[in-house]
Amino acid sequence: MSVVENNGAYPENWEPKIIAFCCHWCTYTGADLAGLNRMNYPANVRVLRIPCSGRMNPQYVIEALNKGCDGVLVCGCHPGDCHYVTGNYYARRRMLIFKRLLEYEGLEPERFQVRWISGAEAGKFRDTVMSVVEQVRALGPLNLTREIPAFELPRIPDDEDAFNAVPEEVTA
Amino acid sequence: MTAQDTIRARAKELLESGEVATFIGWEAGRFANQTTPLVITDAADADKLVFDEYCVNTLAKYVRDVVSRGKVGLVVRGCDSRGIIRLVTDKVIKREDVYLIGVGCPGMKDRKTGELLKKCAECRHNNPLEFDEMAGDAVEKPAAAERFAEVAEVEAMAQADRSRYFESVYAKCIRCYACRDVCPCCTCRECFVDARRENWVGKQNNVAENRFYGLTRVMHIGDRCIECGECERACPMDLPLMKLNRKVIQDMNDLFGEFESALSLEDTTEPLIEYRLDDVEEFM
Repeated sequence: MSVVENNGAYPENWEPKIIAFCCHWCTYTGADLAGLNRMNYPANVRVLRIPCSGRMNPQYVIEALNKGCDGVLVCGCHPGDCHYVTGNYYARRRMLIFKRLLEYEGLEPERFQVRWISGAEAGKFRDTVMSVVEQVRALGPLNLTREIPAFELPRIPDDEDAFNAVPEEVTA
Repeated sequence: MTAQDTIRARAKELLESGEVATFIGWEAGRFANQTTPLVITDAADADKLVFDEYCVNTLAKYVRDVVSRGKVGLVVRGCDSRGIIRLVTDKVIKREDVYLIGVGCPGMKDRKTGELLKKCAECRHNNPLEFDEMAGDAVEKPAAAERFAEVAEVEAMAQADRSRYFESVYAKCIRCYACRDVCPCCTCRECFVDARRENWVGKQNNVAENRFYGLTRVMHIGDRCIECGECERACPMDLPLMKLNRKVIQDMNDLFGEFESALSLEDTTEPLIEYRLDDVEEFM
């Protein structure tokens, strides 16, 4: 648990919240196998099942981060092993682009990760989850701005100002 | 005979002969040095058409709205013609639905400052790539600005600065969807932002939802963007939208090979709906 310079910005007992989108045919089965083998991994990860990594919509990631997740993990079958033959090839291209776009917008690379984990790789699933949780824990909470920052409007003259104003020609 | 005279004469002939049902061009606007897009159905209106250095609007997207009335004639510059290629490739219209009068474009000017528009300074194809006839000759144009210069500018910033920079961009966005309405790539019959029952994106105007819209827009059009810069020009809040579009295009160029969208009707490369077995692998 290597929290770097907390400075009281967030509670000491803060736990990262990670959402893992797992492909039904490989990673979800791999996670199941990890459970069957009684492997221990942090409870910070919430596993969500998707039919295929090709189903992974970039919007899910933005929504997850907007709604308070500290990190997102997307997992699917190894390229070549997709149940639907080509789904993860499309996912790979899409996620390559999307990951770069998020990093361009200032997201830390550790907060959005993609991994290929097969149904037999229970150990890899556990290791991946552990490493992602540790990396995000080191970064601290993701504080994305949600509301538009308040700014001061210039004061608009109202009727009272007009009433109080002394016409120039009267004073002269 | 100037290009404007040729356009007027040809528009009149096309409408009179019934070859086209509508003709799209520009007319003089209310203010000096301003033009506004014009759709005419009557040959008598052809004399209203103008073509000068202030025709800033791209016309391709208007075709979608009037194509149901019959064949559409329109004036195309480089950006308009690529917009038409985009619409044809996306099967929004058919090539035989449009009659294209090409005209070489020296670059359009800002009405207020008289300077070359940003989108025109960055333009790489000022002469039409697809046309049925040319009004006037193709024009020479000085070399365009570096394609990905503004992306490199943002990439040079530190991670925290980039985060703040884009947050300030999304804080300014008023979600008027002008960037979507003007984009020749955004041609879904129902846009995800209008699908209120599905509720993809909420109705509030805050940074989180603006970010959701902005990122989704880029991902939807990224591999089809024709880099016309209309989104940026139409944006009432002057958001740097091309910085996002070009970032995606730059990455696709680096990862999947050089490409430029909508250069011809035959070349329909769209990196995000294709794949290669030996694509870059960094998710192992």
